[in-house]
Amino acid sequence: MLLPLVRASRAPLRRLLSSSSSLRTLLRPRVPYATSGSGGNDLPPLLLQLCARPSPYRASEAGHARRAASSARRGMILCARAVDVGDEASSSSAAAAGSDLSSPYLSVRIRCRKQDAEVLSEALLSFGAFSSTVDDIADAGNLDEIYITSIYADGEDVDWSVSNAASSAGLDYSPAYETSVGKQCDWVATVQETFEPTEVADGLWVVPNWKTPPDPQATNIIINPGLAFGMGEHPTTKLCLLLLREVIKGGEHVMDYGTGTGVLGIAALKMGAALSTGIDIDPQAITAASENLLLNGLHSNQMPVYLVPMNLEPSCFPSNISKLEGEGNKLSNNFDLKSSRGTYDIVAANILLNPLLELVEDIVGYAKPGGIVAVSGILEEQVPKVQELYSRYLDNMSVSAMDGWACLQGTRRV
Amino acid sequence: MATLKDLAARKPVLATIRLIVPAGAARPAPPVGPALGFYRLNLMAFCKDFNARTQKYKAETPMQVTLTAYKDSTFEFVVKSPSVSWFLKKAAGIDTASSRPGHNNVSSLTLRHVYEIAKLKQADPFCKHMSLEALCKSIIGTANSMGIEIVKDL
Repeated sequence: MLLPLVRASRAPLRRLLSSSSSLRTLLRPRVPYATSGSGGNDLPPLLLQLCARPSPYRASEAGHARRAASSARRGMILCARAVDVGDEASSSSAAAAGSDLSSPYLSVRIRCRKQDAEVLSEALLSFGAFSSTVDDIADAGNLDEIYITSIYADGEDVDWSVSNAASSAGLDYSPAYETSVGKQCDWVATVQETFEPTEVADGLWVVPNWKTPPDPQATNIIINPGLAFGMGEHPTTKLCLLLLREVIKGGEHVMDYGTGTGVLGIAALKMGAALSTGIDIDPQAITAASENLLLNGLHSNQMPVYLVPMNLEPSCFPSNISKLEGEGNKLSNNFDLKSSRGTYDIVAANILLNPLLELVEDIVGYAKPGGIVAVSGILEEQVPKVQELYSRYLDNMSVSAMDGWACLQGTRRV
Repeated sequence: MATLKDLAARKPVLATIRLIVPAGAARPAPPVGPALGFYRLNLMAFCKDFNARTQKYKAETPMQVTLTAYKDSTFEFVVKSPSVSWFLKKAAGIDTASSRPGHNNVSSLTLRHVYEIAKLKQADPFCKHMSLEALCKSIIGTANSMGIEIVKDL
């Protein structure tokens, strides 16, 4: 039985798993070298250290004793922890059954001296850790030691990684650590709690679906973001929403290129557009957008969403059909999509610089001659490049900016 | 970028997070997700920001990112270039370094490679103060500890 692993407080309840991998350290020969860790940018002296240093603390008995003592100390200093040792069998079977949202990862909490924290956390990164976090030094108060929390993929050899990182960082002891298994849904939920209703413009709000709209009279777009992008608080989303508000007069056909949560398409419909279409390469986005449509009381006929393959080549239509032969549903969707090229009044693409540059023909191709094309997701410094390329296809270009992000709009050349 | 002293004086720091993220491919999934989610930081904003700033690098190169999370759930981050060992592995065309450096050499590179890597590294905010020569020496040191031999000409 798995207990929920993450709480909102800073020191969460964790299940401690006894790591029997510590016994294996006795059997593994000590490799006598020190690498430079992750580039060694800030500590050149470390790089020339070629040491064959037998650590006096490698014996597992000493390690166990220290770990027991340290966990007792931790119990006193931080809030209570649930200690549930010896549940490895159940956790490994749970690990095997992990789907995307509940697939586990390893979270390792390492204790080391304050002055070694920086170096050790950099070294951990080059030995297989996905990330390493150092809790704030000032917080530790008068304690001589500090905690590093490191995240690994499930199944990695944590012990090997920690001991090598320690030796390459020049530590003369092997830091004590404890491993726990985390599940994806834990942190997803935590992040979602941070979303607040945002007022993008006068009378236009984007509200997460678990909150009530602060202003029921205004145009409220209700979003459940899931793992997709587009909560309304990012400057690029705001820029696009403001633009849509300016240009939508009623009855337009809008294309949301790279729809994410579907926020732009849904906003367009609420502002008076007749039809929105959303496309994205990320299946998560399609799920989120379809859900958000229903949350806003819209029908999927008003905003069909399509999953497009990443290497969409508009010029080679026949090859697209043969690729998608096996997926009948998508085939018909793509066919509808293709036949709608060149018919949209407004095309909005809030993605990233490189896709914008590569897919310029695709994006502009969806707009009808004289239709408006708006692109965003670019930093202000990236605007000249985009402007240069898009000026070959668009007239009347103008740039709006907010907080260092920019949005470029223009009308398709007839 | 403000100096560290300014940062510390301005807002209380909650934690320092170090990550390796492939350029232009930050997603809410691990490694980004659990690390940032734990501190209730705005994942999507970070992903979008990071992806936008790393557009100029070749896709999927593992960039080192250091985030400073403040107590009020805001954060700042610095994107640094990939680690020297990654550059060396790429230049030599190998996947893993030698398991017995000093004894077995996996590959060899010329001084030209070292020079190119040093030039790339100098763009890093943390290396600006080092002379090119010092950078080259440290890169050679890293190569030696990986089992990559540096020769004058191939």
